[in-house]
Amino acid sequence: MEWLELFELALPVMLKGALYTLMFALVSMVLGLMLGFSVALVRVARLPVLSQIAAVYVSAMRGTPLLVQIFVIYYGLPGIGIEFDPVSAGILALTLNVSAYLSESMRGAIVGVSQGQWQAAQSLGFGWWQSMRYIIAPQALRLAVPSLSNSLISLIKDTSLVSVITVTELMLATKEVIAQTFQPLPLYLAAAGIYWILSASFERVQKRVEARLEASYRR
Amino acid sequence: MSSMISINNVNKWYGDFQVLTDCSTSVSKGEVVVVCGPSGSGKSTLIKCVNALEPFQKGDIIVDGISVGDPKTNLPKLRSRVGMVFQHFELFPHLTIVENLAIAQTKVLGRSKEEAEAKGIKLLERVGLKAHAHKHPGQLSGGQQQRVAIARALAMDPICMLFDEPTSALDPEMINEVLDVMTELAKEGMTMMCVTHEMGFARRVADRVIFMDRGHIVEDCSKDDFFGTPRSERAQQFLSKILQH
Repeated sequence: MEWLELFELALPVMLKGALYTLMFALVSMVLGLMLGFSVALVRVARLPVLSQIAAVYVSAMRGTPLLVQIFVIYYGLPGIGIEFDPVSAGILALTLNVSAYLSESMRGAIVGVSQGQWQAAQSLGFGWWQSMRYIIAPQALRLAVPSLSNSLISLIKDTSLVSVITVTELMLATKEVIAQTFQPLPLYLAAAGIYWILSASFERVQKRVEARLEASYRR
Repeated sequence: MSSMISINNVNKWYGDFQVLTDCSTSVSKGEVVVVCGPSGSGKSTLIKCVNALEPFQKGDIIVDGISVGDPKTNLPKLRSRVGMVFQHFELFPHLTIVENLAIAQTKVLGRSKEEAEAKGIKLLERVGLKAHAHKHPGQLSGGQQQRVAIARALAMDPICMLFDEPTSALDPEMINEVLDVMTELAKEGMTMMCVTHEMGFARRVADRVIFMDRGHIVEDCSKDDFFGTPRSERAQQFLSKILQH
């Protein structure tokens, strides 16, 4: 098969798959950040019962393979009458998984802001939530960005795992083209290249965010 | 004179270790009280109990008629009326100087941003730092940061001010600029409770001196009595060590 022909055949399918991959990554990222922040808050505030539940959740999500989590949600839960379509199941699994990692990064960063900053905020009349929102969280964000980015880059790559539940994202799309063309090496390399481009673009976003947060300290 | 801060038999423990034992004293309106004593004597802990940054287990503290230890007390509201200056300044590093002064005015007192910033600028002018309004704390020297911290507390129109070793983290040449601001504040009639080792400041400005040792208030007397003839041997030792230089 000619290169050009292969390219023409593979490109539209793989680009469509890449769009799915991007969608999975972005949606899980946003939901994961929200859930992760809530989990971090519950644990930092040491809310009784809730914070224990949160700790177990984080430990379970970090201590079991994402692949197993996807299987439990998509193939397991229907056994007790909870059914998801593949896209929802994929987003749910990725969100639950990444938010556990994100919550730990945020919790570490929040705890890393000195006790003196809490005291200063409280001495001015800020309550717990106001101290968190206006004083602690903005500083924690700056501390957390590098490790949050790590988890988010992993997330982009982890989306390939939802191919196992019949979602035609980049990985499964690639496999389908290979089934027609029997050209695994160039096509898998192309898929790897696309993942790399996605991750590298995200790294650039991260650099920009970091530079902006840093600038507000020095200006 | 009516009492602004009244501390009655306050006891505090960290686990089994008692850090404050039966501490009682009071600060009248307009009075300047210096709290001194060796490190580990509990003076910082005591002053942090006054605005409930540190909890205590026994006794009571009344600030302007409001009980600090009462679980029903709205602590954020009480704290918003009591200014506090910390050893390590604790300016908010992610905000500019004027934002540092404005944020609690807007979020806690509900003032408009314009009003809060105008007041902030006025107070910066007063501590001689108006030119730095739009810098970040990290760009200022320690002495400048501490003057900003004092201005930040004043921006809330406090009924009294607590100082927790405000000059202990400063280079020697910066101590006086901070003490000058504090002296001026005292002359204007601000009620002040200051934990400090600056005996010169105590001599010039204080009305009363409290000496603490191992969690007890050992000496609580007028400044003249304290620097003249302190009654306790422990205070005499402390003074002889600290006043040699």
